[in-house]
Order: sequence, then C-alpha cells, then structure tokens
Amino acid sequence: MNPVIPAPVPIPLPAPPWLIQLLQVFTFILHLVFMNLLVGGTIILAVSSYRGRSDARHRDLARRAVRALPPVVAFTITLGVAPLLFLQLLYGQLFYTSSVLMAWSWLAVILLLMLAYYGIYWFNLQQEELGPRSFWVMLVAALLLLHVMKTFTQNMTFLERPQEFYLRFLAAPVGNYLGPHDPFVFARLSHFFFAALSIAGLGLAVLAYTWRAESPDFAAWARRYGLKWFQAATGIQVLSGLWFLFSQPEPIRLAFLGRDRLSTGLLVVAVALAVLALLAARKSLAAATVAIAGTIALMAVIRHLVRLEHLRPYFDAHALPIQGQWTVFGIFAVLLVAGLATVGWMLYQFFRPAASSAATG
Amino acid sequence: MNYPVWEPAMLGGGIVIGIIAILHIFVSHFAVGGGLFLPLTERKAYRENNPALLEYVKSHTKFFVLVTLVFGAVSGVGIWWTISLVNPEATATLIHVFVWGWAIEWVFFITEIAAAFVYYYGWERLDRKTHLTVGWIYAVSAWMSLFIINGILAFMLTPGSWLESPSFGRAFFNPSMLPSCLLRTAVAVALAGVYALLTAAAVRDVGLRVEVTQYAAKWVLAGTLVLPLAGLWYISTLPPLAREISMGAAPAVTIFAGLSIFFSALVVIFTYFGPYQHPRFFNLTFAFVIAVLALSSTGVTEWVREAVRKPYIIYNYMYANTLRLEDVTRVRQQGILRSARFVRHHEVDPQDMAGSGKEVFQVQCASCHTVDGYNSIRFAVKGWSRDMIEYQLIHLNELKGFMPPFVGTEAERHALGAWLAGLNPQPLIHEPASPGVQAGNPESSVPGAAKP
Repeated sequence: MNPVIPAPVPIPLPAPPWLIQLLQVFTFILHLVFMNLLVGGTIILAVSSYRGRSDARHRDLARRAVRALPPVVAFTITLGVAPLLFLQLLYGQLFYTSSVLMAWSWLAVILLLMLAYYGIYWFNLQQEELGPRSFWVMLVAALLLLHVMKTFTQNMTFLERPQEFYLRFLAAPVGNYLGPHDPFVFARLSHFFFAALSIAGLGLAVLAYTWRAESPDFAAWARRYGLKWFQAATGIQVLSGLWFLFSQPEPIRLAFLGRDRLSTGLLVVAVALAVLALLAARKSLAAATVAIAGTIALMAVIRHLVRLEHLRPYFDAHALPIQGQWTVFGIFAVLLVAGLATVGWMLYQFFRPAASSAATG
Repeated sequence: MNYPVWEPAMLGGGIVIGIIAILHIFVSHFAVGGGLFLPLTERKAYRENNPALLEYVKSHTKFFVLVTLVFGAVSGVGIWWTISLVNPEATATLIHVFVWGWAIEWVFFITEIAAAFVYYYGWERLDRKTHLTVGWIYAVSAWMSLFIINGILAFMLTPGSWLESPSFGRAFFNPSMLPSCLLRTAVAVALAGVYALLTAAAVRDVGLRVEVTQYAAKWVLAGTLVLPLAGLWYISTLPPLAREISMGAAPAVTIFAGLSIFFSALVVIFTYFGPYQHPRFFNLTFAFVIAVLALSSTGVTEWVREAVRKPYIIYNYMYANTLRLEDVTRVRQQGILRSARFVRHHEVDPQDMAGSGKEVFQVQCASCHTVDGYNSIRFAVKGWSRDMIEYQLIHLNELKGFMPPFVGTEAERHALGAWLAGLNPQPLIHEPASPGVQAGNPESSVPGAAKP
C-alpha cells in the first residue's frame, strides 16, 4: 500500500532546502548540548543527592551544581524551538501527522516538562528545607525528563515511517497512539541516554573547574567524579552506538559500514573524536571538550543523513517550489549575529573576574 | 482535512488551545510589561537612593523569573504544540509565510532568556549600570518578541493585501498589526502593575508596602488608560463581518465582548479605589481579586478575538476547518471524503450512511464542534427534522454567517444529514392532538431510540 502523506502547503518554501537544513542541523546541535547537560545532569544530581544523605561531598556537589540547571533547562527549551521550526517547514506533512496520531502523548510533553522544570527550581531554592527528600524531587524530575526524551525519540522515529501512518490511523482513535515501541526506538533512546550522561559528566568536570579558586580540594574531587561519569558513559556509548547502528535497516547500516564514503567517514571521525576526548579528559579538559563538541556536531549531521535515507522512498524536499524571502532572511541573519553578540556581552560581564570580585568586595 | 483529525473528548481542539493560550497570554504579557517594570523601578530606586525599594525589586525579580521563564516559556511552546495538533494545516501555512519572522522572534527569545538570567543572578555580581543595561536588554527583547508574534496573530484576522500578492512584508504589516500591538503593549503595562500588586501586598514593611502598592497601581491605571482608544482603533481595522459578530450578530460573542469591557472596568475601579487611593488597607486577597479580574478580562477578550475571526482561521484564505477558499470548487466536485486522506470511507457507502456521515463531520466540522462536549453538535441539531438539517446544510454560511459553507458532494451532504438526524430522536412531525398527548412516530419519540 502506498503511504498516506498529507499534501504540502501550496506556498513556496521561503528559502532553498539546503539553507533550511543547514540551519536546522546547526540549531539542533546547540539544542543537543543543553539537552544532554539537562537530562544527564538531572540524573547525576539525583544520584548525588541520594549519596549526599551519608556523604557530605555529594551533598555539597548537588547543592552547588544545581544552580547551573535552571539556565540549562531554559536554553534546552529555547534552543529546541529553532530546529523544530525548520523541521516543520521542511517536513511538516510528516511531523504534524505523526504528532496528531500520538497527540495525547505528545501534548503531555508540555506538562511533564513544566513539572520537571519547577521540580528543578524547587530543589534549587529549597534544598535545605527539603533535606533528604530533595532526592525524590530530583529523581522525579529526572524520570519526567527521561519520559520527555522517550516521547521525542518516538515521534521523531514515527515521522520517518510514513508507511505506518494510515495503519495507525485505522488502529486507534486519533491521538491515542503512544508511539512506536520497538528495538529500534530503544536502541535510539539508549544512544541518547548514554550521550546525556557522558556530556553531563564532562559538563560537571568543567563546572568543577570554575570552583577551583574557592575550594581547590572539593573542585578537584568534583572534577574527577564528573570525569568518571564521562568515561563510563562514553565507554558504554560505544556498545549502545553499535546496537543502534545494527538496528538500522540494511541499506543505511551498510552505508555507514563502508558502502558510502561520506557516511562512513563521518562516523569514523565522530567516533575517533569521542575516543580522543576519552583519552585526553584527565590531562586536558579543554581538548576533551573541543573533541566531544566535534562528536556532537558530526553525530547531528549523521542523524540528518540517516533521516534523509529513511525518507528517501517517500519524500523529497528538493521537489518543493521555492521563493526566497531574502530581505527578511537578511534581517534574521543580522539580528542573529547581533543577538548572539549581546548574549556574549552579557555573559562576559557576568563571568569576568572583576564581576565576582566586586561581589565579594 | 489533509491531516488526521484529533478530537479531544468533550473539550474539542479549540478549548484545548484556549486554556493554554489564555494562561500563556496572561503570563507572557506580564513578561513584556514586567520587562519595563523591572529596570524602571530599579532606576527609580537608585535615583531616590531607596535601598528598601531596591530590595523589593530583587524579590520581585525572583517571582518574575519563576512565573515567566518557566510557565511563560513552556506554555508558549505549549501553544505551538496545540495549534499544530488541532490545526496542522493552518500552522503549516503560517510557518511557510512567517518562518523568518519566527526565526527573528527566536533570536529575541534567546536574548530575552539570557538577559533574564543575568539580571536575576547578577544583582550582586554586576555594577549598577551594567545590571540596569541588562534589564533594558531584557525589556527590548521581550517587547520585540511581542511585536513579532503580534504581527503573525493580527495577520490571521486581517491578512490585507497579502491575499492579492503574497509577500512577508504585506503579511506582517497588515491592517490590524499596529493597533493590536499598541493594545497588547498597554495590556502588558497594566499586567505588570497587576503582578506587582501581588508582590507588593506581600511586603512586610508597612511604609514600603504603601509606597510600592501605590506605585504598582499607577502602572495598572496607566496601561488601562490607553485601552479604550487603542481598542477603538483596533476595531476600526476589523473586517465588517467581524465587527457585526462582536456587536450583536452572535449574541454569545457580544456578551463576551461586553464582559471584556466589564472586567477591564472592574480592574480599573478596584485598582483606583483600592491600592491607589487606600494603599494602607490593601492586602494579598485584594491583589488576588484584581489578578483574577484581569485574568478574566484577558480570557474573554482573547476568546472574542478568536471568535470574530470565524468562519475563517486565516481571513478570506482558509476556513476554520482548514479548507482553503481556493480549494472549495475542487472539493465540491471531488467530494470531501475523497479529498481527505485520513478517512475510512473514501466515498459515501450507501450501506453505511451514518458511518460515512460521521467521517464527513470529523473532517469538516470537528475543528469547532464536538459531538457531546463544547459546542455540541448533538445539542445544536436537537429537534431538527431531516428536511431542516438538509436545508441548513445547503445554506449553512448564509444562515450562520460565522460558519463556513458545507463543502462536499450531494451524497456526502445526505450522509452527514443522516448521521446528524440520528443523533437525537426525530422531532414530532404532527401537532399534538391535545396538550400533553404525544403524536407522531412512537418509535422516534423514545429518547435515544434513534441514536447511532
């Protein structure tokens, strides 16, 4: 049976697909960094607040590190808006259909996200009052975020399977589908899960580095502790990545195992950078961070290529008519640079040494 | 029609959007107005060398962050979620027309969020001038995101010359864009005052509480002062039908429009005679009453704004049920079931007229009507005979100006009619022989007998 896919909007694309895809992948990389820090960070802090019941260092770690989480949540959400916007522009027919078919589960994301967000603030602002119960708050926040991550994985997987849309429509009232539950989804989810722990571990090590002046011993311990998470999760990630690779349909799997030079090359470099980060982490945090940023960026590109492969039989964005809105795009580009510069200026003012000494002075 | 139709039980998609949107609007306008309130009040505290006022601004910032950054931001994403679930076709259209507008709004959104955190965490770390500058960066970014979203929202009601020759500029700078922007800015200023009254009422020091209460009340009064003129300007840009709907043609909408003015007036009266005139007697309960009145005003006003757009979702371009006007002729010939993709019957099944009709309802009517819940169709057609239903469907848009025409083949109209007629017991065709004595078809007078 031919897949049932809604017709595209009869309005030309406001830019060529390559530009939209470029922006989509670029902004997705930014989202990915914060999303990993958020999901992994919440789990690590839940563990620390549990161990903090009997270990003062963990209690201290949870207390200090959680201050970084509210901005991380905010930026995970904010930076997620852009890739989803560009995704809707290019793949709206697929995205809306998959979302509508699993509407309840997709809509629940908003509520769960809000609860998790308030949970993190609660933990942040009232840790003393909460005492040992703070563990439960963080645990619930972590579980909610993991559920959100699972729903995203399911929807993004489902939209790549338009051949299933009509069958799902027939099978249950619209909106009641809970999303695909099969080994492919769980392989994909596990890949995201361990990536989150790995990146958040590294993020914790970087955060600990900023504490080195005020409490050197604690900072050194926290850094080692963060790196343990990073190393363990990255190690497991190799296995999880293999599971994910081998759960791909055969043509895609083979493309990444040598048949397609570009795909194979990207994967090899991405994995090599991760291994490099693993080896460099103890000696140079900066080198490890740069290498792992490279891995994230390449993995986002690979993910995009895989999506194109999954959709190739059903959908070609390049067949859509284009009428560039270049003036307003130009305004966007200028404002993007200006906006990032403004954010950079504010962060500089906030983090520059004079600022913190002014506070203590 | 292009997409599967989600029918949230009892509520209908419109109410799901409405609940999230009204709460979001109530908070997001505060995010904008509060953006002005914070740096202006901070500056006032510096100028008057008033450390107590500065402490108040600091505590207000925390409240502001918890309300706007979390609830405001997430519920804003929530609106986007719901509109794409309830009305994917219209969402896709708006994204095609305005993607760069949204991208620009996203830049301001990022700047706004970053500024809010630096402002919140930066009270002790930054010097006064820098901290105040960050406050202004927040204020400008927040207002700019309102400016952009407002243009998109106004476009849906008054697409103006975009209809004749589509371009981003024509779509964005549409007839109701400026008055609507002024209206929203005024509401934002007033709501900044409403929220400030909440935090002011919680201040322990009596002297400071009186000062801040009166100051916050001035914000409410200043914002609401602009509303009548901005409102008249806005109404003057609306399509004639939209004005008629709000001014008598559709009683429910007219009542809500009246309530909008009524609640706004109550906010002004309560604020003037309460916190402004008698700040000493002002307390948290009073502040909540004003906040609830303001929320009610926001709610009914936004509801009216949505209602007057009917029968369209994008005026003169797309009907509320996502059928484009340009597609009407084609769908009429081809049939709605054949045009829709996610249906079980691709044409009317004479063996299953009611089943076919129900699907016609789902793809054509369910974006506004539920069967038994909000805007219930069972209730709407209660007491209608088959002939009456048929007549109504043929003349739908003429009889009810706020509804789109029925679009489909004759067979589809019959099928829809058959299903609608089966929702209620058929009405009595003959006059009762004498009062209290029932006549007509005994079977159909049994409640529920003719249910599908």
